[in-house]
Amino acid sequence: MRLTLVEAFALLSFAFSLSNAQKDAPRPKGVGPEFAKFYKSPGSFTCISNPSITLDVSQLNDDYCDCPDGSDEPGTSACSHLSPLSPPSIPHPIVDDAAGTAVNTTLALPGFYCKNKGHQPAYIPFTAVNDGICDYDLCCDGSDEWAGVGGTKCEDRCKEIGKEWRKADEARQKAMGAATKRRKELITEAKRLRKEVEDRIETLKTQIQGAELKVQGMKKEVEEAEKADKRKVITAPKEGGKLGTLVELAKRRVQELRDTLERVRSERDDSLKRMEELEGILTTFKEEYNPNFNDEGVKRAVRAWEDYAARDKASKPAEAQDRDMDEILKSDTDNGLVWDDFTAGEASDVDVLYQFENYLPPSLRDWIDAKLRDLRVFLVESGVLAGGSSAEVTESKAVTEARSRLTSAESELSNDQSELSRHQEDLTKDYGPDEIFRALKGQCVSTDSGEYTYEMCWMDKTTQKPKKGGAHTGMGNFVGVDKIVVDEELPPDGKGVGEGERITMKYENGQHCWNGPARSTLVVMACAEKDEIWKVVEEEKCVYRMEVGTPAVCFGNGKKDAGAKAGSDKDEL
Amino acid sequence: MMHRTGLSQRWAAVFLFLSLLCSLFTPALMVKHENFKTCDQSGFCKRNRAYADSASAASSSWRSPYDLDSSSIIFKDGKLSGTIIKTVSTTGEKVRLPLTVNFLESGTARVVVDEEKRQKGDIVLRHESKAKKERYNEAEKWAIVGGLELSKGAAVVSSEAGYTNVKYGPQSSHEAVVRHSPFGIEFKRDGETQVQFNGRGLLNMEHWRAKVEKPEPKEGEEPPPEPEGEDESTWWDESFGGNTDSKPRGPESIGLDISFPGYEHVYGIPEHASSLSLKETRGGDGKYSDPYRLYNADVFEYELNSPMTLYGSIPFMQAHRKDSTVGVLWLNAAETWVDIVKNRHAVNQLSLGTVGAVDTETHWFSESGLLDVFVFLGPHSQNVVESYSALTGFTALPQSFAIAYHQCRWNYVTDTDVIDVDRRMDKHKIPYDVIWLDIEYTDGKKYFTWDPLTFTDPERMHKTLDKRERKLVAIIDPHIKNTPDYSIVDEMKSKDLAVHNKDGNIYEGWCWPGSSHWVDCFSPAAIKWWISLFKYSKFTGTFKNTFIWNDMNEPSVFNGPETTMPKDNLHFGNWEHRDVHNINGLTFHNATYEAMTHRNDDDKKEGPKRPFVLTRSFYSGSQRLGAMWTGDNEAKWDHLKASIPMILNQGISGFPFAGADVGGFFGNPSKELLTRWYQAGAFYPFFRGHAHIDTRRREPYMAGEPYTGIMTQALRLRYSLLPAWYTAFYEASTRGSPIIRPNFYVYPGDEKGFAIDDQFYLANTGLLAKPITEEGKESVDIYIADGESYFDYFDYTVHAGKPGRTATVSAPLERIPLLMQGGHIIPRRDRPRRSSGLMRYDPFTLVVVLGNDGSADGELYLDDGESFDYQEGAYIHRRFAFSNGILSSEDIAVAKGSKTEKYHKSMKDVRVEKIIVVNAPEAWKSKNEASVSEEKDGKSGKKGDATVTFVGKTGGKANWAVVRDPGVRIGNGWKIDFN
Repeated sequence: MRLTLVEAFALLSFAFSLSNAQKDAPRPKGVGPEFAKFYKSPGSFTCISNPSITLDVSQLNDDYCDCPDGSDEPGTSACSHLSPLSPPSIPHPIVDDAAGTAVNTTLALPGFYCKNKGHQPAYIPFTAVNDGICDYDLCCDGSDEWAGVGGTKCEDRCKEIGKEWRKADEARQKAMGAATKRRKELITEAKRLRKEVEDRIETLKTQIQGAELKVQGMKKEVEEAEKADKRKVITAPKEGGKLGTLVELAKRRVQELRDTLERVRSERDDSLKRMEELEGILTTFKEEYNPNFNDEGVKRAVRAWEDYAARDKASKPAEAQDRDMDEILKSDTDNGLVWDDFTAGEASDVDVLYQFENYLPPSLRDWIDAKLRDLRVFLVESGVLAGGSSAEVTESKAVTEARSRLTSAESELSNDQSELSRHQEDLTKDYGPDEIFRALKGQCVSTDSGEYTYEMCWMDKTTQKPKKGGAHTGMGNFVGVDKIVVDEELPPDGKGVGEGERITMKYENGQHCWNGPARSTLVVMACAEKDEIWKVVEEEKCVYRMEVGTPAVCFGNGKKDAGAKAGSDKDEL
Repeated sequence: MMHRTGLSQRWAAVFLFLSLLCSLFTPALMVKHENFKTCDQSGFCKRNRAYADSASAASSSWRSPYDLDSSSIIFKDGKLSGTIIKTVSTTGEKVRLPLTVNFLESGTARVVVDEEKRQKGDIVLRHESKAKKERYNEAEKWAIVGGLELSKGAAVVSSEAGYTNVKYGPQSSHEAVVRHSPFGIEFKRDGETQVQFNGRGLLNMEHWRAKVEKPEPKEGEEPPPEPEGEDESTWWDESFGGNTDSKPRGPESIGLDISFPGYEHVYGIPEHASSLSLKETRGGDGKYSDPYRLYNADVFEYELNSPMTLYGSIPFMQAHRKDSTVGVLWLNAAETWVDIVKNRHAVNQLSLGTVGAVDTETHWFSESGLLDVFVFLGPHSQNVVESYSALTGFTALPQSFAIAYHQCRWNYVTDTDVIDVDRRMDKHKIPYDVIWLDIEYTDGKKYFTWDPLTFTDPERMHKTLDKRERKLVAIIDPHIKNTPDYSIVDEMKSKDLAVHNKDGNIYEGWCWPGSSHWVDCFSPAAIKWWISLFKYSKFTGTFKNTFIWNDMNEPSVFNGPETTMPKDNLHFGNWEHRDVHNINGLTFHNATYEAMTHRNDDDKKEGPKRPFVLTRSFYSGSQRLGAMWTGDNEAKWDHLKASIPMILNQGISGFPFAGADVGGFFGNPSKELLTRWYQAGAFYPFFRGHAHIDTRRREPYMAGEPYTGIMTQALRLRYSLLPAWYTAFYEASTRGSPIIRPNFYVYPGDEKGFAIDDQFYLANTGLLAKPITEEGKESVDIYIADGESYFDYFDYTVHAGKPGRTATVSAPLERIPLLMQGGHIIPRRDRPRRSSGLMRYDPFTLVVVLGNDGSADGELYLDDGESFDYQEGAYIHRRFAFSNGILSSEDIAVAKGSKTEKYHKSMKDVRVEKIIVVNAPEAWKSKNEASVSEEKDGKSGKKGDATVTFVGKTGGKANWAVVRDPGVRIGNGWKIDFN
């Protein structure tokens, strides 16, 4: 007897399935092992989520959707429409009957099960079954195209794909090992840095205690010196004419200051007017230009203008301030300051000097007070006050010196205090798990993408730099560490964020966008051997997302997402 | 008091601050009116309107100065010729205007009037212009592709003196009554006047005359008073927007009044953002003040409800009254305006026997060229459109991917961006077929190049797309960058293939690349060159799945008058731009179409594939070349609403492959607007999401739930109905019929429906849709024209038919108001796939919607969706019919060809998997099976029984039944007997 090829093949496969059956109960096409139990009954099949519906076994995988949950078609695309994403236009006699309101129409199976012998099994969506496309990424054995529609043939490539994957996986594991090691180093570094901060805090605390005492002492010294000085001035011998000179000088000086103020104010007003005019021109320009013409030069100008306009406006001179200035600019007489009274008066020079401000209208007093202090310095410098007896000078100097010592001690103290609070605050700041980003803070990584170079500085800022030259664009300043759940396909080289919870850094309030918000960047991190920006995308207008690899987020067993997976744990945390 | 003042001051300050903010951050979206001419600013428009005004002022004493010289009339072989004499009132000069009237075999009449002096070149051009002296007579060359056979049966019939009557058309039911003095024609059908030429005496052909230079008035002297007579101020040079048109031929406009006695509605003359039923343009309140304008232009942020010109023009108008439609084609490519006035009267005085109390009077005028008008006498809109399409060509049968969903944006910025969008669409299980690249993919806006930084690996990108049978459309515009390091511009210049300026030098203007030149596709050599540019070896980085988008082909010139070319520019053959302007877009589209047809010339195995080229600018005939879209709309509800009449208007004007940017081009749509727009877009013949470069990303997966899911449903609905859409396109490609159809077209006798333009039927499927176009709206009233029953598409709720009533359909955000009219069979493919190409071998579902008489029918056309093999018989065309309890499939393929068998063989495993019978008879309650028989080797044989499940009506829904997997082949004949 001669067998035709087909018959021989049929026999062979029969034998094969028999031998298979002994080891492993045969499952209908597309059924995964965890669902095998539903397909055991020999003559009939009960819909998984609708046990009231029993079908003849011939209705299994006959390319017609009978079960409202699609469980009768594990190996075809006949039930692929069962999805909330499909329009509700495919009725089902049971579901759509009056009694059928409680029928479960959610797909009971996760997809078509590809055994992928030689690699890892996986489920492929029913919509991809028998559509003429070999989906090797999920179904390396090509079993999803069993019907060969339109002559499609998908050979089994699991051997090579599996081999490649294992090779890549090995490399990944290796890289992961290195990354984990690097992370440990980073943790050590972070700990060291933390220790440094803590040590510094201790040092500062001691310093501050000392400094506080010092300041107290100096305050006393100043008081003493001032007392002595005042006494000396008051008791100083009167010298006619000296006050006259002083008044002359003061008068001239005040006039000078007034003139300058007047000039500066008019210059300011001119500038303001010009600025308003320019802003008006630019506002009109912005409204009337045609954004559709996309002239880069014009758009850049508009963008710059908008950035400018969005910034805090240069505060307009407050009216009150202007009124003050008007007061100041009034002639001295109008201000109630009669210089002649000083020269003609018999009062003691020093008294007058000290009562000087009493003559001034209150609005002027503060201003004059400040000016007067300057004046005093000026007088000393120009030798008017210093030109007298050496005793006066020495005493004044003592006060000045005491005061300057105090000032420097005070500023030292306040520096120490602010450094302390900065460090204390730093210790409470979120540096991520194990405070690991302490070790990276301020370091930067960059990558080229299209016409830009993108830079990300840990816990600092993100920047876009045009390759063709031109201004850098701030894409955000660091605001905090956070977490999100991502669901991305992992590229074969493993340079992607994959699926699961990932640590992020938020950067906000970057440069304002043309017609949009301030730029911001979300940096999403995944484990990698070294710090590297993988991808930069503008998810929405001026909202950027950077995918960054770093050993800083390598946790646990270092297992990373597998290329093909069957419900494998994709979370690396 | 003080307090109040203080408060109000503060409020004023707040208001000021807010308005300042608004002016800073809200771009003022408004059409820039000052960029475009009003009629008053367009010399010949003003002159022709003034001519009409003086005629109406003179009333009955007005006499048109055009007389047909009776002795010159010759009638031979369906063609009447003669000479019209124009008597110039001021000088008494007699101007000879040769007339020909062609009576075509199709029943269409064509009237052409030329000017003898210009025809013979017997004129002198000013400014030593090189322009051609004749009136432009080549519009026909571009627009007309057939149907010009002269009628053999047309004959002059006896008539009274001073008239020549010609009977023509089917059964000689048409008649043209040519009045000699003054010249005029009435076109009659079955004895009734339908169309009237020069009835109001507005015929005007501005004859050539030499410019008489007037002495300049001396300094200090009063200028001499203008002589009585015509206003010459716009005869010679005309300036607008800083640009002066030198007008070397002087005034040369043509004008004619065309009246439709008894017709209340006129439709057509796209493209305008206006209602389907055209509005009146004269007479004040509630009417437009300017005529409808046809002068293809890149109108930035166009306004709605306006007769302003847009990107394309089809000078084809239909007039409609109860049970009758007639039409005219004004074949002229120059700037054209159309005034429309509706004359209401108690008793019709224009013509005896005319029904109706409204006459629509139109007045057409163009700046230059021949007077060349075709008259179609219907009587149905389908006949008018079909006759028009026989002349100008039928819609090209598109590749099947082209009617699926297109994902576009200005711009996907890198090749990896494209790949990422592709991946995300799959990830979210959203079907799509095509992703698009706008101008940014080029290297510095140099077409035929790729940006070396952002599109580094076009091959990888194309291959990634091809994995799921997806395509890439890249933009190619007609402006060629004027830059030293660009071989394309060098070739164009050295071969002299660019448009010239009035002095005969290569014209230079500004567009995207900055300084640019424009390829002159009127030139055969330029077309040849253009074809060569698209070879895979020349345009590297493109592949078999690359297709083309032609934008800016009005042409758009940023620094030109009205954002286009100066009218005195010169094209191939020295025709002035003025003469050819409205055809310019078509010539460019045509060159690209040709180039795409020739792409596979060197690959005999692959063979030619149907091109897909989208155009923004168009003219009569552009439908032969690809799709169009309505240009740069805005992300606003009223733009969504306006898209429907605009697309309906394209459909009845012979160019149904039309769509609007889903989501709106400018601005950011709310999620609700975007979702509603996808639901409407699922019913645009051309379905593309697009967005301006400054908008936020808005691919359907961006919105999040519930919006993404609802948009996906709309997209999947479109995909499941693709067999019905493709069948509709087949009908359009053979009969010119609209894809989506307004009420007046489907129910020509239902007067209440004539102005309805917010709902439509999908071809012949009985599907009636009314997309939601208002924010927050959750139900809609659908107008029902006939007595059939209608059923909700999704849940079979019955809307019992009664002519002229409305059906209230609930439409929460997730629901598209969509009804099925009883009496139809709708073919679907219900398995959701990633792209339409992957549905090729999927089984069919037939939805049989039984009508009041218990019957239904429908059609399915199917082919490989990409090659021209269908022209050699490689297609399946079936008619499904249900009557007397039997559903059958009958072959209606016209003829078998050399490739029929091979194609059928490839489809032999494609079956009907499910039949849903809506409105199933009550008697089927106890029915469990139906008997199935199928033809095999030419014989019908019993195949077996198929299970039938009946579901009885509940809650206002119809009975329905489902036939479980009858297993019959889609390409075979079969019967399913329910008795």
